[in-house]
Amino acid sequence: MTLPDRFDRIRSTPLRLTIILTLIFAVAALGCFTTAYGVVRANLNAAILSDLRQTVATFRQEGEPDELLERLTEAVRVTDPSYRILHYLPDSGPVISNAGDIAPISGTVTLAGDSLGPTDGALAESYLALSARVGAGQLIVGQSRRAIIEMSEIFAAVVLMGLLPAMLIAGLAGLWIARRAQDRIGAIQDALGAMTGGDSTARVRGIAAGNDDLSGIGQAVNAMATAQEALIVTLRQVSTDIAHDLRTPIQRVSVLLDRMARGADLPPAQKTLLLQAQDETTRIGRTFQALLQLAQVEGGAARDRLVPVDLVGVARDVVEFLDVDAETQGLSLTAALPASATVTGDRQLLSQVMVNLIQNAMLHGAEGQTVHLAIATCGPVVTLTVSDHGPGIPADERAKVLRRLYRLDRSRTTPGNGLGLAMVKAVCDLHRARLTLEDNAPGLSVRIAFPPVSADVGTTAQRPHLAQ
Amino acid sequence: MKILVIEDDTATGAYIAEGLREEGHSVDLIASGADGLVQGTIGTYDVMVVDRMLPGLDGMAVVKTLRATGNATPVLFLTAMGGVDDRIEGLHAGADDYLVKPFVFGELSARLAAIGRRPKIQDAPVTLSVADLEMNLLTRKVTRAGQPIDLLPREFALLECLMRRKGRVQTRTMLMETVWDIHYDPLTNVVDTHISRLRAKIDKPFATELIETVRGAGYRIAAP
Repeated sequence: MTLPDRFDRIRSTPLRLTIILTLIFAVAALGCFTTAYGVVRANLNAAILSDLRQTVATFRQEGEPDELLERLTEAVRVTDPSYRILHYLPDSGPVISNAGDIAPISGTVTLAGDSLGPTDGALAESYLALSARVGAGQLIVGQSRRAIIEMSEIFAAVVLMGLLPAMLIAGLAGLWIARRAQDRIGAIQDALGAMTGGDSTARVRGIAAGNDDLSGIGQAVNAMATAQEALIVTLRQVSTDIAHDLRTPIQRVSVLLDRMARGADLPPAQKTLLLQAQDETTRIGRTFQALLQLAQVEGGAARDRLVPVDLVGVARDVVEFLDVDAETQGLSLTAALPASATVTGDRQLLSQVMVNLIQNAMLHGAEGQTVHLAIATCGPVVTLTVSDHGPGIPADERAKVLRRLYRLDRSRTTPGNGLGLAMVKAVCDLHRARLTLEDNAPGLSVRIAFPPVSADVGTTAQRPHLAQ
Repeated sequence: MKILVIEDDTATGAYIAEGLREEGHSVDLIASGADGLVQGTIGTYDVMVVDRMLPGLDGMAVVKTLRATGNATPVLFLTAMGGVDDRIEGLHAGADDYLVKPFVFGELSARLAAIGRRPKIQDAPVTLSVADLEMNLLTRKVTRAGQPIDLLPREFALLECLMRRKGRVQTRTMLMETVWDIHYDPLTNVVDTHISRLRAKIDKPFATELIETVRGAGYRIAAP
């Protein structure tokens, strides 16, 4: 996957929705857990504190100092310090404690186990301790926070074992759904791209079945394409009809002029006029022919007839055909060709493209310049380049010159019908080849990159006139 | 030759028929597809000229039907269309050649001469000759008045094309199709340049010119 693809995927709506939903879910779940944890912890703390206060209250009930000391001594002896600590610091006399030395505290504090001792028994990790005045001394009662720590561990385990896998699963499922949606959106985009590229038969595939929003869009696109295709067919029929209707009168004019030329002995001046009229009629006919052929190639019906063609063989013939023209004009036509380069195509149309491009280059080139034809193979991709050192085409005009009948201002007076490059573009589209016009500094470089030859083409389609 | 012309446009039809008659052919002119099919089936013709678009039964159907009944008379299609597809479809239907309107008579005449039934020249001639120009197809050697002439392969092919049909006009389109396999209008008169190169080698150094330009049609090689 290339970098731009990745960016596209991140920008895709379904993926963004997935990421946002997963994040919302995670934040909400964590919020709930945190609240629950806080509540449970506060309850446990409150329970421990109330227990401690109870203990303090019990000792306070003893009125006699001696009895208090006795009870405390007894209590310290039987109390396990890992659960509860008792520490009595009388105003005078020895300390009574099951937890070693404890620094004086006031109020309610949390004591770390390792700040106590030494003791006979083991100590807990930490204690919640309460200091209160009992009799003639200060009593510190503490209870192990074991229950709270265990509760925290359980919550952590729940988050790790429950929430994270859930988020992971939700994220993966979201990605998969996003990818599926992306594929379907991609199918719609591909179909629209192909239609824009002139393939009026392109449709959104594999989307017709469902009845969700994406399928709806796909079906709408297909319906639009069908309507447009019908329109194109009608238009094409109309233009063919017009061509036929106009060709016959042109033929008649041509016939009449020819009869005139063959018949009488005309004065030389009129003979010249007649010859000019005949040439003009031929030119009209040729332009018609070129327009009709262009419409036909753009129609794309010839796509079924494309067969493997050795582009190098075609190029050799074209160079041999045109190099005398180049010599006559004082240009040199050079070629850099590999041994062979197979593309899927129509030999005549490919030959015509090369002739058009080379003639264009020669037309705009000046004496002494070179027109260069190159074919290169890079892996399965075959590239054809025709470059010259003429005046070139300004960058903002490059797309326009591919339109039919468009001509650069400076070309208005040169011969040509404004259909040559439109034909090149149409043939490239037919072959699904990529056409680029570049600055040759100075001059123009036209590059055509053909798609790799697919194995199944050519076995079914055979050129009928060759077969016969 | 006996020629059947099926063409619905009266002006064009009359023009073709008249021109062909002037050249000494016998011509039957029919204006509809159905009548043309009947005439083509019962008559014996050396070549037929069929308009592609006819009222009723169109030209394509006429030729397909004729071919289906085993009729092998050479057919030249006339058409107002003329893209690659039409040409291939026409040839696929069984036509032998294809001419796009508007055409000049010279082109039609030359093409009919090329496809029409005619006594076969010997099957595989080893040498072709026109006056003192000789071409050996095996050794690929060309001599004029005994002097060897060096030709490039394409020049040889061009000369061979002319010499194989000596005395008959070869149009520029026919030459492009045969010599360079170019079946489209290349919008260039480069064929003329090739011919002038050829002339420089086989005509210029000698007293008489053998390659003749036929105005409005093409070229012909013949003994002066």
